[in-house]
Amino acid sequence: MEDMMYELLFFLEVLFSGLLTGTLYSLVALGFVLIFKASGVFNFAQGAMMLFAALSLVGFQEMLGVHWTIAFVLTVALMVVVAWCIEKFVLGKLVNQEGIILFMATIGITFFLDGFGQTIWGSDIKTLDIGLPTGSIDLGGIFVDRLELVAGLTAAALVVSLAIFFNKTKIGRALRAVADDHQAAMSVGISLRTIWIIVWSVAGVVGLVAGIMWGSKLGVQFSLTLLALKALPVLMLGGFTSIPGAIIGGLIIGAGEKLAEIYIGPFVGGAIENWFAYMLAMAFLLVRPQGLFGEKIIERV
Amino acid sequence: MTYQDVKPGEVLLAVDNISLSFGAVRAISDVSFDINKGEIRAIIGPNGAGKTSMLNCINGFYHPQQGTITYKGQKRSAMKPYEAAAQGIARTFQNVALFKGMSTLDNIMTGRNLKMKSGIFSSMLWYGGAQKEELEHRRYVEDIIDFLEIQAIRKTPVGRLPYGLQKRVELGRALAAEPELLLLDEPMAGMNLEEKEDMCRFILDVNDEFGTTICLIEHDMGVVMDISDRVMVLDYGGKIGDGVPAEVRANQQVIDAYLGGGH
Amino acid sequence: MFYREAGQFKSSYKEDQAIFPILQDRVGIAAILLFAYIAIPFVMSDYLIGAIMTPFLILALAAIGLNILTGYAGQISLGTGAFMAVGAFSAYKFATFSIMLGGAEATLPLVVTILLAGVVTAIVGIMFGIPSLRIKGFYLAVATLAAQFFIEWLLVKVGWFTNYSPSGVITAPPLVILGFEFNTPAEKYLFTLTFVAAMALLAKNLVRSHIGRGWMAIRDMDIAAEIIGFRPLQTKLSAFAVSSFFCGVAGALWAFVHLGTVEPEAFGINRSFAILFMVIIGGMGSILGSFIGAAFITLLPIFLNNVPPLIGWNIGVDMIAHLEFMIFGVLIIFFLIVEPHGLARLWTIGKEKLRSWPFPY
Repeated sequence: MEDMMYELLFFLEVLFSGLLTGTLYSLVALGFVLIFKASGVFNFAQGAMMLFAALSLVGFQEMLGVHWTIAFVLTVALMVVVAWCIEKFVLGKLVNQEGIILFMATIGITFFLDGFGQTIWGSDIKTLDIGLPTGSIDLGGIFVDRLELVAGLTAAALVVSLAIFFNKTKIGRALRAVADDHQAAMSVGISLRTIWIIVWSVAGVVGLVAGIMWGSKLGVQFSLTLLALKALPVLMLGGFTSIPGAIIGGLIIGAGEKLAEIYIGPFVGGAIENWFAYMLAMAFLLVRPQGLFGEKIIERV
Repeated sequence: MTYQDVKPGEVLLAVDNISLSFGAVRAISDVSFDINKGEIRAIIGPNGAGKTSMLNCINGFYHPQQGTITYKGQKRSAMKPYEAAAQGIARTFQNVALFKGMSTLDNIMTGRNLKMKSGIFSSMLWYGGAQKEELEHRRYVEDIIDFLEIQAIRKTPVGRLPYGLQKRVELGRALAAEPELLLLDEPMAGMNLEEKEDMCRFILDVNDEFGTTICLIEHDMGVVMDISDRVMVLDYGGKIGDGVPAEVRANQQVIDAYLGGGH
Repeated sequence: MFYREAGQFKSSYKEDQAIFPILQDRVGIAAILLFAYIAIPFVMSDYLIGAIMTPFLILALAAIGLNILTGYAGQISLGTGAFMAVGAFSAYKFATFSIMLGGAEATLPLVVTILLAGVVTAIVGIMFGIPSLRIKGFYLAVATLAAQFFIEWLLVKVGWFTNYSPSGVITAPPLVILGFEFNTPAEKYLFTLTFVAAMALLAKNLVRSHIGRGWMAIRDMDIAAEIIGFRPLQTKLSAFAVSSFFCGVAGALWAFVHLGTVEPEAFGINRSFAILFMVIIGGMGSILGSFIGAAFITLLPIFLNNVPPLIGWNIGVDMIAHLEFMIFGVLIIFFLIVEPHGLARLWTIGKEKLRSWPFPY
């Protein structure tokens, strides 16, 4: 009986930790969704933006010796500049191109940002410390990592504020109009360029937040971009255009891969976290090609 | 499945009481009509009347929820578009659907795909079987190019061609399949008078020379009444008129639909 | 003035459909082949042949493979590295097959081993291509990442693939054909050259056949392609199969001819990206472009490593790596904006200009 109790607690602990890791995936996925909704671009560079933002935050802190809040503001400003550059030099030149071309262009952006970030900020592993709590707390017998808990709460707060931003503000309405129909939005006087810059900036800030969480957990290093790729199966699961999809997809992937690692991993040699998420998403897509929350598309000719 | 050979004048394809809806939107409701072998059959109607959906049902792209389609005396089960193509149904599209990255010649050659049999290995080796097959079909395609008078743009990527010529290439691609039933979705949309006259001539010639049965959607009433043998009129997914041009022209419901009197 | 097709009339469709319909092009390709076969082994040092020419050719073959899938059939893949790994490791298993059964050495002929490895890769490629029927575009790109990570993991974790080598590294058998052993870099280079040239010809034949037209039709407009009679299943899976076959053979050559000893990490996601870049920069939908792209991506790091010191600018090794990243990124974007058909298209435009040179009217 006690064994079963222990087993159950252990299961819950794994599940909870998985769900919280999942919210970190969701944070990255959120950036993807924002950009995809507003501009139809599948932004492969979201992970690179996250790394670049985290590197810059630490870099500003070290270089200027300022408090992290000031570094945060500086980094946000930098991400706006990045967004402006991307619109000016990449997307603006590729208007009306096919999605797949834009996708490959964002792979180019990924490589550029990775190289550029490491050129100016260096490539050694940096510790990111903005005073987030560490260690774990005991929630009725389940031990939960404090940092993961904070990450989970931050993700929730971010989603709520984005929802308010989208639904209540004028810019938010314009964004939704653009997401719905580019041509129509332009014809009522919404500037596509401005909207894109705003969306990419917001995605940059979301990336910064994700980068802070991941960076606090693992240190700011190049391998974060690989982790960010995990947001892709999250998107496949949740659909490219759905913010709730990104959150729920993240939770499923996070919990699924943790549980799989603990309960299936030992039988097949471990380290299945590397691919489990992708396989799960792929298997899911075969059943439901439009993802959990995507709309079924009626094809016309 | 066995298909009977159909003689000119007999029913080639019959649509019986089909209905098609997308969610709550009803695209076609309870429509029946038939296409006789060798005729030019037109479908007309205001925008959103369900004309294109009808063609999509005929070539297996949409599957009606109710009703049956009988082709060459054989009731058809739900099929994929490529199966319909294999049975001799070819079509063109309302918005030109050419393969933009390929030349005119290659686009028309794709129309021959169902007749080309060489496999991956013989195609890789090329010299011998695959080359011979390619040349045979090239000859047929060159005849179509001559027929449509597009020799000069043979090697031009179709993306660079003006709209009218693209429509012509698309017709060529459909003809290359040597179809028994040819579906044309607004073959003359967006054309100037001269281009329309050319296209009319091609359609009549195809019908005349090859005996190809044609079912077309068109908005230009003058053209429709001139070249078609029978006309069906759709409005809001339902059939409101059917018959030879003179009958349709005199049909009060049709006049109302077009002049907006009925609504 | 010299590059003209005027006066070269084609009197049959056969002549018109040749790969190089213009005489000057035929002379050009013959000259390049002669140069590659005769001049390079004599002129270049063993080091350069081994470090540049052989890997360039093998990567060009992999780029042809990916180009068939992405450039011709329009199905984007980020799993090329994994398919090369499948080729490398299955070639190794075929080569050591008889040893495992107690025989002394490899009994299967080398060429057969390599081709069989391609066949195994084609089968694996078909398996990972099946989702392409239901999922498209970006979704498929992500699905191919599944192949990349899963296959890499499998080869590391399952000892059988490496014949239980404790380090996870495999060592290729000697390259012997009919008793002749390919030892020196020049010999290995000639072996690779022959293989790659032959396969490039096969690929060119395939993409100009009705099968290649089917791929391009699916790429340009899949719905229309299906309506005129191409079966999506067969068309897409055949692209996956052929593409993977080429990548698998490239992987086998990479392991057997170029590296000699390999671990699965040699075929990581960065390899996949590098080959995708070759295709984009060289030119999507062009066999020639695959060669140009491979040359470009192979030479750029060498250029970056050697040129700055020559002009007295000393930069660190990791700085060079970052610069490489940035330059790749910028080039990718540049080509997508300016010329999506890559260097191969620039080459064609150059030839068109040359036709009318020096009197454009």
